[in-house]
Amino acid sequence: MANDKNSLRTPLGSIRYLGSARSGTAHMWAVRVTATALFFLVIGFVWTLLSLVGSDYATVRATLGQPIPALVMLGFTTLAAYHMMIGMRVIIEDYVPDPHQREWALIANMAFSVFVGLACVYAILKISFT
Amino acid sequence: MSDATARAAKRPRTTTAERPLSPHLEIYKPMLTMMMSIAHRITGAALYFGSVLLVWWLLALATDAGSFQTASAVLGSWFGKLVLFGFTWALFHHLMGGVRHFIWDMGKGLDHPEREQLAQLSLIGGLVLTLLVWIAVFIKG
Repeated sequence: MANDKNSLRTPLGSIRYLGSARSGTAHMWAVRVTATALFFLVIGFVWTLLSLVGSDYATVRATLGQPIPALVMLGFTTLAAYHMMIGMRVIIEDYVPDPHQREWALIANMAFSVFVGLACVYAILKISFT
Repeated sequence: MSDATARAAKRPRTTTAERPLSPHLEIYKPMLTMMMSIAHRITGAALYFGSVLLVWWLLALATDAGSFQTASAVLGSWFGKLVLFGFTWALFHHLMGGVRHFIWDMGKGLDHPEREQLAQLSLIGGLVLTLLVWIAVFIKG
């Protein structure tokens, strides 16, 4: 290390770019909290869909319009949309080095995730109330 | 001053120092824990893009019987079922990986041999859950 008497590194070279990132805990926590909720919601989601295998249009619509299935679907889709957004954010930050492209990619990620969440909420509410 | 130090002192100072990067992908033998880590990310990304299938199905259901018929026909075709099977596997694999991360967050399972056992368990668990769900689909439909 630079502290060795035989190190060829300059003092400045040995400390540059070291230091705390100062952020990231909030993201990590959000991932854990949404993941915990999704663990239970995904069981409900899979259970609901399995119960609808082989059913016709009217039956599926009627079932998903009931309060419990609708709430499970609403909960699952909104939290999944958020969880996937923050997850993809990390992937983009890891693999897109150019700041310009990175910003556009992050915006596209938000747009896509919000679209998925909104579209699912719209569909489930429409099914429930019409 | 030694010769090297004298030469270094005369060299112009640059604002960024270029440092060699330590090799990783080139030298590491692929271990299960390594593969499971990137698989967790890849399954997450697959679920991210695959979410459009759920959106499509829900919107079709909300629209009318005709749209729903089309969506069901495509998703129920042999190719559609194949994609859905893959999606289910990605879901359960990512779910098991998430549970593994939770165990690590509690500080457990980080040592040898627990970390390999956890990796194997989550890999097998994901496959088993996928198969169970699709056996149920096959029986029902």
